[in-house]
Amino acid sequence: MRPLEVLPAVFLLVLVLEISPDRAHGSEELESAVRGSPQQSLAIVVNRSNPVDNLPFNELRKIFMGERGHWQNGRRIAVLMMEHGSPERETVLREIYAMTEARYTDHFLRGLFAEDVSIVPKTLDSPARVRKFIVQAPGAIGYLRASDADESVKVLRIDGHLPSDKDYRLQIDANSEN
Amino acid sequence: MKSPLVPSGNRSAIARNLATLALLLLTTFDLRAQETTTPPVADDKQLIQMLLQRIDHLEASEKQLQASEKQLQDRVRLLEKGQPAAGTAAAPDSPAADQAAHAQESETVEAENMDVSKTLMNIRGFGDFGLYGGDQKAQHTSFGLGELNLFITSDISERFKFLTELVFEVHQDNDFEEDLERILLEYDFNDYFKLSGGRFDTEIGYYNTAFHHTTWFQTTTDRPYLFQYEDEGGILPVHSVGLSATGLIPSGKVGLHYVAQVSNGRASSSPNVEPVQNLVDENNHKAVNVALFARPDAVPGLQVGFSTYRDVLYPLNSSRIGETIMDAYAVLNRPNLEWLNEAVLIRHALASPSHIYETPGFYSQISERFGSFRPYLRYQYVNASRYEPVFPGVGLRAGPSVGIRYDVNESVALKLQYDHSELRQQPGVNTLALQAGFTF
Repeated sequence: MRPLEVLPAVFLLVLVLEISPDRAHGSEELESAVRGSPQQSLAIVVNRSNPVDNLPFNELRKIFMGERGHWQNGRRIAVLMMEHGSPERETVLREIYAMTEARYTDHFLRGLFAEDVSIVPKTLDSPARVRKFIVQAPGAIGYLRASDADESVKVLRIDGHLPSDKDYRLQIDANSEN
Repeated sequence: MKSPLVPSGNRSAIARNLATLALLLLTTFDLRAQETTTPPVADDKQLIQMLLQRIDHLEASEKQLQASEKQLQDRVRLLEKGQPAAGTAAAPDSPAADQAAHAQESETVEAENMDVSKTLMNIRGFGDFGLYGGDQKAQHTSFGLGELNLFITSDISERFKFLTELVFEVHQDNDFEEDLERILLEYDFNDYFKLSGGRFDTEIGYYNTAFHHTTWFQTTTDRPYLFQYEDEGGILPVHSVGLSATGLIPSGKVGLHYVAQVSNGRASSSPNVEPVQNLVDENNHKAVNVALFARPDAVPGLQVGFSTYRDVLYPLNSSRIGETIMDAYAVLNRPNLEWLNEAVLIRHALASPSHIYETPGFYSQISERFGSFRPYLRYQYVNASRYEPVFPGVGLRAGPSVGIRYDVNESVALKLQYDHSELRQQPGVNTLALQAGFTF
């Protein structure tokens, strides 16, 4: 068989192996993460004027990955990240990005270079700054510990669930609180 | 007259300072008067000395206050004339000014803390250096500088963005050359339509626009032969000058994207001219490139796509040549696994005598990361006719590359690569490369 004929078959074989459920979503890094009992939910927050109330998790991931640059109303999206090492950031890296800190940096550097990402997240150092930024920027999206989300911001439903719901998936890991 | 433009905080500060000064001066004169009526004793001498020092201090303070008052008066005069005064802050009691000050403050904080890019100009650098050797005739083992790439971006406004790749490189004659490999002004209408103009990397297939001009993001030490740069003997028009439109196609979980490009195309009048037509086009005909690709949600990391490039070339000593380049690819990029597969067909249709030359080529590259190590394997193939009118010297090139990339840290990587290439009617060529790549 010539190499050109063999390649598609081998490619399909690897593809089938790769999409097995336990390997999807870059789960190699997820598997290695130590998971403890959830202490508190992480709320995804936007400006109160944002017409969006609910985001499917896939869309949320695309927004945080920089694959979406605009809301449906045309507003430009600004993604906010909290400081390195904060439990909130670690939760987002684990649950939304499924990446380590190094992979996250590489993703955006590579994406910026290849013109593949529409936006690069901004880092803010406290929940108060996140709230303040979101109040001032109609297109901003960020995250807060559910207890830090006050009336000044809108908490989004993710896959139809609010942070207080039992099936809400963004939970801050107890081990990252230390 | 009370000026509404004088900051109220400054007015009250001046009044407070002047009142304090007056009180202290009165106290001083009172003490001096007592000095003249009371006979001096030893303790009094000490007291007088202290008071004199205090007077000196107060006089110095008065001079400072007078100078400050004069500065403020100058600023008031400038403000009344409607000119901006350097270093003057907006009145904090104005809500609009307060908001602006807050916005400015937060913008500064955000710019300082942005993860990769800043709102203003941002520069990242990439470079490499290596030791290269092989058994090809007249090839010597040499230390070699790679490209030094300064990647500069700037968010000019919410929708306008500037981007450039300024590359310093060394050619076979050992001379340095600097090239603006990419220079683009982009307007971001929305996710479905982004328009950019300038010099860009032609969106032929995957590799050319995934890695651009740096070895840092590449697993291997070099690009596949198919995607070599034009000035290094490459066979594709990998750079273009013109307009490029990109965006999403509403397609749900299929994740379709499009690219449409119109450009000057490549120079063809003579093999000795600059291959990228940066300023002057040889003819009025424009090259067109259209690409479609999908990133389905169901398979994270998978991207499949194809592109078609069409141009007409006008060589000086030959008839018109219709050029069509078709590319199809499937790549899988996972955190640990990388698998790139791409095939190209270059079709040159000579008008007279009527003849079609087809050059097929492909590469396949697979690598898996184990911690900091990433071993890889690549096989590449290009087969051009010996009578090919546009790149007659290419012929057949096929063979494997094996290597390993070791990431020393997040900014430095070492690569070791062995290549073997089979050539038509010539002995095979073996090369070895040791390369250090870095980003800064």
